[in-house]
Amino acid sequence: MNQSHLLRKRLLAILAYAVMIIAALIVIYPIYSAVNISLLKDTEVAQYPPRLFPSSLNLANFTRALEQAPLPRYLLNSIIQSLLVMIGQLITASLAAYAFAFLNFKGRNFFFLVFMATMMIPWEATIIPNYLTIKQLGWTDTFQGLAVPFLATGFGTFLLRQFFLKIPRDLYDAAVMDGCSNFRFLTTIVVPLARPALGTLAVYSFLQTYNQYLWPLLITNDESMRTVQIGIALLQDEERLMFNTVLAGVVIILIPTFLLFIFSNRQLIRGLTAGAVKG
Amino acid sequence: MKRSLFALMAVLTVLSMVLAACAPAATQAPASAATQPPAATAVTNPTATIAPPKSADAVKIAFWHSMAGDIGGKAIPTMANEFNASQDKCYVEPIYQGSYDDSLNKLKAGLQSKDTPAVVQLYDIGTRLMVDLKVITPVQDFIDKEGYDLSDLEPNVLAYYTVDGKINSMPFNTSTPMLYYNKDLFKAAGLDPEKPPRTFVEFEEAARALTTKEGDKTTVYGGAFAIYGWFFEQFLAVSGGYYVNNNNGRDGYATEATFNSPEGVAIFDWWKRMVDEGILANYGRKTVDTRNAFIAGQTAMFIDSTAVLRGVMDSVAGKFEVGTAYLPRPNEAAYETAGTIIGGGSLWIINNRPQEEQDCAWEFIKFQASPAQQSYWQTMSGYFPIRKAAYDEQLTKDWVAKYPQFQTAIDQLHIAPNNRVTQGGLIGVFPTARQTIETAIEELLAGKGTSQEILDKAAEAVTQSLSEYYVSMGIQP
Repeated sequence: MNQSHLLRKRLLAILAYAVMIIAALIVIYPIYSAVNISLLKDTEVAQYPPRLFPSSLNLANFTRALEQAPLPRYLLNSIIQSLLVMIGQLITASLAAYAFAFLNFKGRNFFFLVFMATMMIPWEATIIPNYLTIKQLGWTDTFQGLAVPFLATGFGTFLLRQFFLKIPRDLYDAAVMDGCSNFRFLTTIVVPLARPALGTLAVYSFLQTYNQYLWPLLITNDESMRTVQIGIALLQDEERLMFNTVLAGVVIILIPTFLLFIFSNRQLIRGLTAGAVKG
Repeated sequence: MKRSLFALMAVLTVLSMVLAACAPAATQAPASAATQPPAATAVTNPTATIAPPKSADAVKIAFWHSMAGDIGGKAIPTMANEFNASQDKCYVEPIYQGSYDDSLNKLKAGLQSKDTPAVVQLYDIGTRLMVDLKVITPVQDFIDKEGYDLSDLEPNVLAYYTVDGKINSMPFNTSTPMLYYNKDLFKAAGLDPEKPPRTFVEFEEAARALTTKEGDKTTVYGGAFAIYGWFFEQFLAVSGGYYVNNNNGRDGYATEATFNSPEGVAIFDWWKRMVDEGILANYGRKTVDTRNAFIAGQTAMFIDSTAVLRGVMDSVAGKFEVGTAYLPRPNEAAYETAGTIIGGGSLWIINNRPQEEQDCAWEFIKFQASPAQQSYWQTMSGYFPIRKAAYDEQLTKDWVAKYPQFQTAIDQLHIAPNNRVTQGGLIGVFPTARQTIETAIEELLAGKGTSQEILDKAAEAVTQSLSEYYVSMGIQP
């Protein structure tokens, strides 16, 4: 009896691991494939059946990618732009979400609906007016031009508000009774409790910005102000498309997102456990 | 939260600094990065950079282009540097603006705020639209003003960009489609590798002979066509068919699509028949996928632009012998009366720039059209030279000697008669029309109707978008 119970437990564990390994392989495969192709020689790219391993540690594609597009400069610009947007969104969204979650003011629901409504406006509809505004401000080819239109976010506000609403109202009442200001309550109590939500928003906004193509293309002409996605487009020569070179470029620009993932992953888990012992 | 966010930002900032140190000409680096000493040696050869102007008084002009890879990264900057070094009145700065569509969108957005270049490179199929937008100064104005000699330029190429009797833009990168085939597979199938198919029927027979199967599995397809609207346009042209009415929209505005003619139907029938028989592979819309299948030896013949020759040769790298041939025609007689349409792109001068900038734009356009530059351009990019004198340049001679397959491309351009069919359709909604055709081919191959039904539907859609175009542009066709 006891033995069969143990056996069943073990089998279940094996099954669970098997499923997880398969899931992990599915997730890792595209990344592995990108790295693999980025190391292939020109003659190996179109081989059939496709090569699953590079024949050698061939770094020629990386050299070529760096020759064809100034990727280091683009990486720097993208990281700065994405960090600006990420920090900006965390600040504006948490302030707005705080107001919607904790403060009582006239028209609160109405304004919240207006915020939500902005999520329905497709980005394509606002890109030209935004472009004209930035152009008028003389912000083309600047970091503020790249970042400012994205500093407020309806989605982020919504996400944080929903999370803030889960924080017991009693905490707020107690804090207010003790003379805690709203700002202090936000920074010392709400923000630490809302780590998972803030972390999610941070990752989301960073990646959204990092993956932008059309906006940076529109408002920059100066090569030293362009961003990574334009760099990848610059590698995609229609007539002589070299997948190994393009993917070498992709691998280079993956590095910051990897770092972001490694850090935020720990962050998100820690945030979840911190939330579990609250109250 | 704070600590790990801080750690992340610290890492990213440090990474930024390292990158800033590697980045050449980091003019706008933030304060923290600016204090870092520049790296002693660059990691790799830096991207071809544009040298600063020789004279501070030089008129600066922007040149928007859509050339990526080595062409955009090396060939265009080199041309710009040579132009800038050749004189001190004008200074051209090339700027990559994404695909032709991206560039066109940016141009349209920029028109309202005068954020426009003096010269922009756009695709062949944007020609009618650029003229109708009334944003350009035709190069004909400059040609007439100084009596620029056109006699050496390829007449077929100039004819494509002639609208309403004027040369509106200067051809820059031109190509036509041709047939690429694997000579080794031809030999293996008992075909003469020096006698590639010339007609639709010969192509079909060759494809049948070349297709090899192991059991039920096809290991080599005789041929493969990417689902690309441009190929249909070309097959239609070599069949003598008009894409749109009013002689391809070249004797007055086109109001109706006419590719649902017997010529169009014959192309569709032929294409479908070969796919159904399993001798013509379909690798989807992306031409690069079909190209890679050929390079991998999975297909023995395919159709692609003459400009991809070097890429194909480099990737095949002697694994098998590559042959090139004319785009197949419906019959031998068609070689006399019809031919391929030139494709590619041209350079436009934007009319809202100051006169001095437009003058410099013309100077640059003339410079790139010179035999030496066209020869350099051709060897770097794989496009045709736009003028005949370029073939006398040593660079081009060496190149053609190295890639004898390119001779086919040159000959195909020269044998094509210059008429309304080979000049190609001229409509303002060409990108949409091309997509409509691509959808139609997909429907055809999926068996969603007869060739005639599918083409009728596509023609109706194109006719409809033409009339919408005229309304939106305020044009009375």
